[in-house]
Amino acid sequence: MTTMSPSSARIATTERRAVSVSKSGMPFLLQVSMLTIRNLKTTFRTPAAVIPGLLISGFFLLVYNDSLGGAAGFIPGLGANSYLGFILPLSIISAALSGASLAGESVVRDIENGYWDKLSLTPVSRGAMVLSAMIAGAVGLLLQTTIVMTIGVLMGLESVTGIVGILAVLGYSLLVGVAFSGLTVGVGLMTGSGAATQGAAFLFFPLSFLTATFVPVNLLTGWVRTAAEYNPVTYILEAMRAVLNSGWDTEIMLRGLSSCLAMALVLYAFAFFGLRARLKRR
Amino acid sequence: MSSRNREITAENLVKQYGDFTAVDGVSFKVRSGEIFGFLGPNGAGKSTTVAMLTTLALPTSGRATVGGFDVVTQAGQVREIAGVALQEIGLDPLMKPLELLTIQGQLFGMSRRDALARARQLLELVKLSEFTDRRVGKYSGGMRRRLDLALALVHQPDVLFLDEPTTGLDPASRRDIWTEVRRLNREEGMTIFLTTQYLEEADELADRIAIINRGKIAVEGKPEDLKRGLGAESINVTFGDEDTALQAADMLIPHADRIQTDRRTVRLYLNGAAAAVPNVVSRLNETGMTPVSLTLTQPTLDDVFLQVTGQRFASEAADAAQPEAA
Repeated sequence: MTTMSPSSARIATTERRAVSVSKSGMPFLLQVSMLTIRNLKTTFRTPAAVIPGLLISGFFLLVYNDSLGGAAGFIPGLGANSYLGFILPLSIISAALSGASLAGESVVRDIENGYWDKLSLTPVSRGAMVLSAMIAGAVGLLLQTTIVMTIGVLMGLESVTGIVGILAVLGYSLLVGVAFSGLTVGVGLMTGSGAATQGAAFLFFPLSFLTATFVPVNLLTGWVRTAAEYNPVTYILEAMRAVLNSGWDTEIMLRGLSSCLAMALVLYAFAFFGLRARLKRR
Repeated sequence: MSSRNREITAENLVKQYGDFTAVDGVSFKVRSGEIFGFLGPNGAGKSTTVAMLTTLALPTSGRATVGGFDVVTQAGQVREIAGVALQEIGLDPLMKPLELLTIQGQLFGMSRRDALARARQLLELVKLSEFTDRRVGKYSGGMRRRLDLALALVHQPDVLFLDEPTTGLDPASRRDIWTEVRRLNREEGMTIFLTTQYLEEADELADRIAIINRGKIAVEGKPEDLKRGLGAESINVTFGDEDTALQAADMLIPHADRIQTDRRTVRLYLNGAAAAVPNVVSRLNETGMTPVSLTLTQPTLDDVFLQVTGQRFASEAADAAQPEAA
């Protein structure tokens, strides 16, 4: 990402104008934070766009828990008590997938109203434009996650690692949000279509089933197990579950973290590729 | 400040979308401090050319520079010195004017305080100071256009691109924009690249113009020279229907140096048009063709356009100039 620092003029523009325009432009991280804040502000000026996501997250948790919680007693090593802690991370992933389209849709909105072009005409780093949309989307998802966690706690969730564990789960969910937002931002940039963006989020929905969805991975068999073992979501789920149900385990935590980061990086690259494709085509 | 290079050049610029060639080998040079009018009907390739010059689109082939910087390999530098107001106004309707202007200023490297000061100064300039609390979505078409212009000016660009800056504006707002364009050019020495579908606008503002049609530059020069180049004045005779006009055109060939028929109107180009009117009228009387109107004109840019493209300009512009439902 360091190569995407503002590509501003370092050449002979010595006599600058009356307005003090710094030659190096704005630092990359400042650009990202400024654009992220702008993105969040405008997103929340249309509350109707955010509310469905919030409702659906709570829905996933209630339905998964109430329809499957009774059977959880049959899972070896899982007391019925901790099924809530087992299923809650899945609700978070489901919410991240269904809510990730928000980030792509905000990009599509900017493309449609022309503001994307307006930004592109400034010396702002293209990477900052892409990343800020992803982070803004992830922050929106973090809000959903927080609500899911709150509902979970109200339903009797007990985290064995206490509040720190809950914060760790929120941290994972932020990274997952950044990753999935990268997918929708990329599709949004490539297609400029809101419908395609929503469709893309849906296309990745199976990821939350080809994993240790309802039972731990060691209870899975056949091709589903193989798929789950290659699915990065599995390791993220395991990390979140471990924190809530069995305690700190550095190896599991790191595996989850690196899965998150790998996904975020790959999908950031995908989003950036979407930007290039857009530039080439227009 | 005049020592800086503020030129725009294009050499054989081409933009293809699949099989369709939107811009087909366009070359021109705009000198420092000039107002250059880029004229053409809808779909002629004006906006695509602007998109390439302003680094928004990559040329398929050819080369262009702005202020001496290559638009492909030195896109960052081009963005630093170019101000751009696109035809599609690029304003987020959910944002407020000060937010838009300060973000823009900061992205150009200003401190937050400087950006805010510059934003207020520009809002004053475009007469929007009273409306800072309103979301841009609630602005009228004219207000949005002015704010968009303000955004293009945030970093005091050397070269200003205005893509159809007055399309859809009422006459008063249009005059305001013209006044401001002239001021920017004279007082701040900006080179201004202006696309328009209004011949009147190009005639009024531009030092030189180029007419683009179907992706190619049809003609380029000073408006006066282009008009003079057409040479002849014309007698324009309009009939009740197109068939009569065609018949009349055939018949009137001996009376003109050159004849053009545009729907119901026949244009006879010749020197000393006024003196030739009686002959034309009596010839029409002999054959019993009754004109609806008969006028005498000096060549206009419209005529230049008609000659180089074979189509009229005015009707198209009139279609596009629907008043804003603000």
